[in-house]
Amino acid sequence: MTLDLNKVAGSIASMASELAMQSSKRVDALNAAIGKFENPGDITLLKQRLAQAKTSWLLAEISGSLNQRFEPLELPPDYLVIATDGSQIDIDRHHPARCCLINIGSIYLQYGQNPASMLESEPTLFSSPEELILKPDGGNPGREISIEGPLLGIKRTVEEFRYLSQLARKLSAGLPALALVDGSLILWGLMSKDLPDFVVDSLLDKGVLKYISEIEKLNSQNQLALASYISFPRSTDVINSLRMTVCPHQVPDCDKFCTGIASGERPCDIMAGVVDRELFWACLKNNQRSDVFISQSKISKTRYGCNQIYFFYIKTGNEIARVEIPEWVACQPELLHITHSLILDQCHKGQGYPIALSEAHEMAVVSGADRQNFFYLVDEYFAQCKLSTLTSAKSASKKNRWI
Amino acid sequence: MDEASSRIAEVTQASTAGFFAQCYELFDLPPLGSLIKCRDGENEILAVTCNASTSSLEPGRRPIARGKTELTEEDVFRSNPQLKQLLKSEFEGVVLGHSFNNEYYHYLPPRPVKLHSFVYLCTTDEIAEFSRSLEFLSLLTSARTDIPSEELVAACIRFISACHADPSTFTAAAGKKLAQIFVDDYPKLRTILLRLKL
Repeated sequence: MTLDLNKVAGSIASMASELAMQSSKRVDALNAAIGKFENPGDITLLKQRLAQAKTSWLLAEISGSLNQRFEPLELPPDYLVIATDGSQIDIDRHHPARCCLINIGSIYLQYGQNPASMLESEPTLFSSPEELILKPDGGNPGREISIEGPLLGIKRTVEEFRYLSQLARKLSAGLPALALVDGSLILWGLMSKDLPDFVVDSLLDKGVLKYISEIEKLNSQNQLALASYISFPRSTDVINSLRMTVCPHQVPDCDKFCTGIASGERPCDIMAGVVDRELFWACLKNNQRSDVFISQSKISKTRYGCNQIYFFYIKTGNEIARVEIPEWVACQPELLHITHSLILDQCHKGQGYPIALSEAHEMAVVSGADRQNFFYLVDEYFAQCKLSTLTSAKSASKKNRWI
Repeated sequence: MDEASSRIAEVTQASTAGFFAQCYELFDLPPLGSLIKCRDGENEILAVTCNASTSSLEPGRRPIARGKTELTEEDVFRSNPQLKQLLKSEFEGVVLGHSFNNEYYHYLPPRPVKLHSFVYLCTTDEIAEFSRSLEFLSLLTSARTDIPSEELVAACIRFISACHADPSTFTAAAGKKLAQIFVDDYPKLRTILLRLKL
């Protein structure tokens, strides 16, 4: 039988009441965070403490003044937005064909006197060993890594950036433009210690970072910004940094001072459970953005170089979004203005979410029916070539349900 | 009107009695009751237009209101340039006859139009020539469409009459023919005649 919701309804009710009971605690924690955000004390001292702190959490490095707010500038009369998004069909281990597919949606929108648009999708099949397996360069020894599962997701991100840089090359020079992707610019999935360095090299250095650098090179007139948009972010970098303001120790060191103290009992736990978006929902007005922070993510600090990731929060009216930008965007006021104003405009046009990303998703999305049709097509061509189309017994059993 | 400008749409669904066509330009729909044609080699299939619509390209995505803060309707499209890629204008063609060896026949062709056939607007001369015989009224009045057939019949006669040197004479002749066809359906005949400029 299928999922019996009656059986789980009781647990859901308990979960909801538990959260409701915690809500007053969360309000206190949020108020504590707001208090410290508005009155952080000596910012130089706080920056020093953040630089020296040894925490188990990710901190946001303060690049400006922590609590300054910025209004958007007026939109330029003519401007462009490009965006890409991707979707994939992973390798089906129950299918005889070892192949996968990445579908990239690309969007070009020109606003102003000569409005224009381009909406495209481009599927690519990966089936050869060279396409499906990563191995050390130059025949060096080392284990081979198959691109499937989470790694295929990262490969898809690489493809999104490849198409974005191709689109950027086609932009009309002289118009302010924003290149936009969905999600984080930080490839968190590559932080696993289990991954050999050549995998990170292939997907990050020769992949995403190469294409980000290509986009930067096109930015000769400081008119082309690059950003990623994270809707409903769960990040706590800024809250974690605020926790440092209440740490009683000269140099915060979680392992040294707080090991053995139960969670909830530590001095900085007065802000526990609050996420950055809750803080900025309370502290930003509609259309404002926060100051810019620097991500302390290890991969960003050690591998991204001049593309190191900065971020800010923006109140679009519907929600708080996290916008991530490379250093070369964060350090150019013109590009920051373009990013802020154009993202807001995109959200207003897209009922709360950037319209270019929304359309890129629509172009890229692969539905369950698409996936099924893809494998039917593979089977058909296999049959024409007299190749085996035998699937696993498990797969056959799922397809042909019986009593 | 040259051939390129008279090519307005492409067949996306076809059957013996009619077809659906998607316009190349959004909102560039032919008027209700106008005559269009598709080619089949040297021959042509003529049809009357009806059931025009503009809607989302994807069935699951409904257009939403976007103009609350815009000054004009044009501004809605200026601020949302992607809309033209996401919407489609389409219409139905009800077959009224066909040509074979340069002669018009006012009955159904042996085969339906091909999918992806180009759809052209008929020229005034072609319309006048095709409607020299009023036999096409038989297919026109028996057409089954989503709009009331009286509306389609009247619109078509009004459209064709404008292509004749003496529209009144043509309309009067068409009215007499309709009286024969609807000999036992006076209310329908009256509804159509009220919509003609007699």
